[in-house]
Amino acid sequence: MSMDQLRWRPTVNERDFIERALQSDLRVDGRNSFDFRTLKITLGREDGTSEVQLGETRVMAYVTAQLVQPYRDRPNEGTLAIFTEFSPMADPAFEAGHPGESAIELGQSPDSCFCNLSIQRCVSMEPNVDCLRFSPLRESRAVDMESLCVVAGKQVWSVRVDLHILDNGGNLIDAANIAALAALSTFRRPECTVGGDDGQQVIVHDPEVRDPIPLTIHHMPIAVTFAYFGEGNIVVLDPTYKEEAVMGGRMTATINSNGDVCAIQKAGGEGVMSGVIMQCLRIASVKAADITSKIKKAVDSYTTEKDLKKVKRLPVSVPQKIHVTDVTMENKGDGELETQTQTAKTPSNVQQISKDPAPMVEASSEEDAQPVTDSSNAEAKSTSNPHGANGESDEAQEIGSPKSLKDAIKPKHKRKKKSGRS
Amino acid sequence: MESRRPPPSPFVENYVVPGDVVLDLSEMTNQTIKLGAGLRQECDTIQATSSGKLRLSKPNKYWVESSQKRYTPSVEDTVLGIVVDTKPDNFLVDIKGPNLAFLPVLAFEGGTRRNIPKFEIGTLIYARVVKANSIMNPELSCMDATGKAAEFGQLKDGYMFDTSTGMSRMLLSSPTCPVLEALGKKLSFEIAVGLNGRVWVNAPAPNTVILVSNAIIRSESLSGIKQRAMVENLLQKLT
Repeated sequence: MSMDQLRWRPTVNERDFIERALQSDLRVDGRNSFDFRTLKITLGREDGTSEVQLGETRVMAYVTAQLVQPYRDRPNEGTLAIFTEFSPMADPAFEAGHPGESAIELGQSPDSCFCNLSIQRCVSMEPNVDCLRFSPLRESRAVDMESLCVVAGKQVWSVRVDLHILDNGGNLIDAANIAALAALSTFRRPECTVGGDDGQQVIVHDPEVRDPIPLTIHHMPIAVTFAYFGEGNIVVLDPTYKEEAVMGGRMTATINSNGDVCAIQKAGGEGVMSGVIMQCLRIASVKAADITSKIKKAVDSYTTEKDLKKVKRLPVSVPQKIHVTDVTMENKGDGELETQTQTAKTPSNVQQISKDPAPMVEASSEEDAQPVTDSSNAEAKSTSNPHGANGESDEAQEIGSPKSLKDAIKPKHKRKKKSGRS
Repeated sequence: MESRRPPPSPFVENYVVPGDVVLDLSEMTNQTIKLGAGLRQECDTIQATSSGKLRLSKPNKYWVESSQKRYTPSVEDTVLGIVVDTKPDNFLVDIKGPNLAFLPVLAFEGGTRRNIPKFEIGTLIYARVVKANSIMNPELSCMDATGKAAEFGQLKDGYMFDTSTGMSRMLLSSPTCPVLEALGKKLSFEIAVGLNGRVWVNAPAPNTVILVSNAIIRSESLSGIKQRAMVENLLQKLT
């Protein structure tokens, strides 16, 4: 009863009107049959986050990665998993925790184009089946999985895409797909190297030390959804919420800008003539190219903005030189400050190494800072020795890139200012 | 009973948030004030329970006006409801509220047991809220206070769409809101606005209905002048 009560149903009036208007080639929102609604791609402040607005539909995506053991049958490949959350806030028909029919279809859709989970995924929505298990079917691999391997059979990157449906205005599949692609395009995983005593230890470098690495994306599979009305002879693109409630069937074609069909999904509904499907695929390939360029444009402007920010920081780092030495001096006397700086340091060994030489390089010109830098230098050497060549190259890069220098210093500078006031 | 005019609340025509003390009753004795939606009495004070604009209808009616997708039923509102289920005594009607509303099968002009109307599920109904409180399902009626049909009842054909409650209040306001005025000069159409944010539009040609509904949806956040310009723009595209 409660579920029934929540589900939105179109009135007889809407149903009749939508169908009658479509007979004369009119859509209730004034669009043409093969128009997408306005697409707005917003990329978050951090890498790997995006929010896509397609008409009234809103989907947020964020990408995270962690090191895991690979699956035994694929020891040298990373993994990509997509999770979709359906909040009841987006649509009262969504039940918290229980994906409905549409949820399963949608959850499976972005997967099927990235690494093709196909029907396997549908089954895996059962709670006791491992959701992450990939089917061996991998036809179109948008994200390069082998480049996510760190140590074959031991450590690979597991990339996770979380999709949050914020508002359901219809055609969630396409919106979620675009959001996932945009987020994956801006996502950067931390660089890591293999070293240590046995040469098998994986060192994850702090993003401030070494620039994180973007994923290798071979192509962008774009989902384009068509809705069928009448006896399958009326076709519209990008159905709205209301059209979805009235339509007789739906087909999602996943196609990239080269026109390669990656997946076609048609779950039930009215039968459609093969000629109509071919026509839809032609339209979809045009739309896919269009959307790909939109995503690329958004990603490009995001990356250039990000790069510009890095450049702007440079002149600021000059006056900070003085502060750095000050901080290190105070460090000795002020116990409280010391604990602060220590907690701020990340636990990883490598980060410590590379952060410490940073002030050293700058401070070498300042004579009064000499003793401090000496000690830090020694510390750096002692810890970096086991890594051998790796540790050295780390340092070399450190000197070369002014951005990471500044980044390493900045928090200290801020802390110094605060303590000065108090 | 009322000897002197009470001083109006300083918040009138301003925005209030839940918890704002709108009126202090200890200063005003022997006066009657009437509270509408979004206000409640807390000891000697009147506090806002929802956020929105505080309105005063002279001499003594206060309420809070807000714009939202959800509708809180209140008595004497005219709403557009969708029949969800039919029971022997009532139709269950969805009016976008927290609960389904009951529409007694006899609440029609001249309604008797013999002539119960047949509404299939999904029928659109224009009705009036007669009972509304937080613990019971609201009750609707398809008669005005004098027992006449007065335009209430089933709406046939046409197209229904959802807007916010603020939008529907704007459409019902007088003088006629600029969108409807501009549209009405050029096109002929029928419109029914429910205070629950539902609007029904009907016209002989489907493209008129589509134009009118899109013009209304788009006018939500536009000023009067912009609304007229937008309507002009849409009308030009039509021809």
